[in-house]
Amino acid sequence: MVSVATPSSYGSPPVDPRVLYPRLDWSRELYVLGIESTAHTFGVGVASTRPPYILSSARSVYRPEKGGIHPREAAAHHARVAPEVLRAALDAAGLRIGDIDAVAVALGPGLGPALRVGATVARGLAAYFRKPLVPVNHALAHVEIGRLYTGLVDPLVLYVSGGNTMVTAFAKGRYRVFGETLDVALGNLLDTFAREAGLAPPYVVEGLHVVDRCALEADEPADLPYTVKGMDVSYSGLLTAALRLWRRLGPRERPRVCLGLREVAYSEAVEVAERGAAHTGKPGVLLTGGVAASPVLRERVAAMAEARGLPWGVPPLHLCGDNGAMIAWVGLLNYMAGITVEPGEAVVKQRWRLDSVDVPWR
Amino acid sequence: MEARLCGRALEIGGLLYRGAEAEVYEARWFCMPAVVKVRPPKPYRHPRIDELLRTRRTVAEARAMYAALRAGVSVPAVYLVDPLEKIIVMERLEGISLAHLVEADSGRALEAARRLGSMAARLHAAGVAHGDLTTSNVVVVGDEVFLVDFGLASLDADEDDYAVDVHLFMRSLESTHPDHVEDMLKSFLEGYRQVAGGDAVENLMRRVEEIRLMGRYREERRRSVWGQVEQP
Ligand SMILES: Nc1ncnc2c1ncn2[C@@H]1O[C@H](COP(=O)(O)OP(=O)(O)O)[C@@H](O)[C@H]1O
Ligand SMILES: [Mg+2]
Repeated sequence: MVSVATPSSYGSPPVDPRVLYPRLDWSRELYVLGIESTAHTFGVGVASTRPPYILSSARSVYRPEKGGIHPREAAAHHARVAPEVLRAALDAAGLRIGDIDAVAVALGPGLGPALRVGATVARGLAAYFRKPLVPVNHALAHVEIGRLYTGLVDPLVLYVSGGNTMVTAFAKGRYRVFGETLDVALGNLLDTFAREAGLAPPYVVEGLHVVDRCALEADEPADLPYTVKGMDVSYSGLLTAALRLWRRLGPRERPRVCLGLREVAYSEAVEVAERGAAHTGKPGVLLTGGVAASPVLRERVAAMAEARGLPWGVPPLHLCGDNGAMIAWVGLLNYMAGITVEPGEAVVKQRWRLDSVDVPWR
Repeated sequence: MEARLCGRALEIGGLLYRGAEAEVYEARWFCMPAVVKVRPPKPYRHPRIDELLRTRRTVAEARAMYAALRAGVSVPAVYLVDPLEKIIVMERLEGISLAHLVEADSGRALEAARRLGSMAARLHAAGVAHGDLTTSNVVVVGDEVFLVDFGLASLDADEDDYAVDVHLFMRSLESTHPDHVEDMLKSFLEGYRQVAGGDAVENLMRRVEEIRLMGRYREERRRSVWGQVEQP
């Protein structure tokens, strides 16, 4: 199923991007198509140098019937839906491929087979229609779409998704990683627990993760291991302990495990974000990535930021999860800064680290 | 004993530093220059977990400071620990953090890094891992180097915890002092080697590499369904 979003659903940026990117030349009217396929989502979006900047975002999400993502099945899904998602994004933007100035693609980090579908589609479009091809780092796109939609000029960033748990901020030409998970990511922790405990699939019911849902029935949290090391978190011990306890307890007591798990997991993430904020002295906090959709986590980040007297923000729900629009947006910035790649050299990078990417337009 | 006759036990002055988890106040302890480290409640945590954590960390910090002292590692003298109030009163260091020194005087910073390496080795040999070994938690006073902020320390640490210490130090260089990563790390490891020996450093660094690869690159980490959340 392809879902299509436009500014009527996710709104317009609250700031003029010229404020965020004063080094770039905004005089030309440009349109960039962005393709996302790093994990479970195949997404295509269109971005422009002219309001409303993010013109459209279409996507189709691969949903495994059971278990986690199978990379090859995800790739097969992406290849199947690509034409339809591409058409939907262009139609919603009111553009034809001829109107596009450049094609951007997320080349990593992510799952190899899934990444290669996006790269193949992008290379094909760029070569056939003679468009410049623009490489985009997926993590950078989550951060920049967050800045655009919150207006936070120089925030400390907590990026949390199925595959990433990261505290990052900009310094000396790059996003520096101040902390991250030492083992599993926050989204993966909650999903794995839910699956192993028999609470999922589906993982999300009416906008709330099933672990958050199960936690509603508990009065007190179970006592579970809380592991923060510097600005890094570790979740694997928490996962093991929570599952062990879950199996030992009866149905009436089990919600305490959900509450304990949820509280410890979110608290660790918010704590390392707070450590990052204190360490860097950045004047704001940005929450982004798929898990930023959690209303409970948002509340916690808000409480932390407010206690420190910092503004905070989170992008609109549609733009928290993986999407093509954020790839189009960073593609646009990269294109304006002259960052392109020859189609023959556009290879995927499964382990492309955020802190290895030069960011000349900031 | 003379000191005990001077002034009140504790006089608290202004806020010196607002850290991530603690607030550090200027203070006098029987007229001696001191600081009070307080762990205030966090509004983003479940109250029960918060209370437990703040108590645990206050106690862990004091214990680890004693253990460090026994291991021959310079730390501020501890004057008072109150787990109920979550405070530690300790000797005030009149110095500069290594984080500042790296940017201000890289020559002195390299020497401090070497000393820090030796201190880390001694700490590890005593079974203690610091848990937050960053340049912000090292205070340089003249040519003496002190280690602070032991709240995340563990006293029954293992090889992995020692490797995490080194990883955290490297991380703080990469993120905060990207122009000084190689030379600072080299000095740190030199200091470590002087105490622990070359083989120990080699084993340690092998473990550090493993740890760094594990969190960063494990593919399974992306095998998750987040991002599927749609507007209800
Ligand atoms: N005994 C001390 N004397 C002087 N300054 C100190 C002392 N202890 C800590 N500090 C300063 O206060 C800062 C915060 O203290 P720290 O124990 O690291 O708390 P946090 O956990 O909040 O980082 C340190 O980085 C250091 O600059
Ligand atoms: Mg500190």
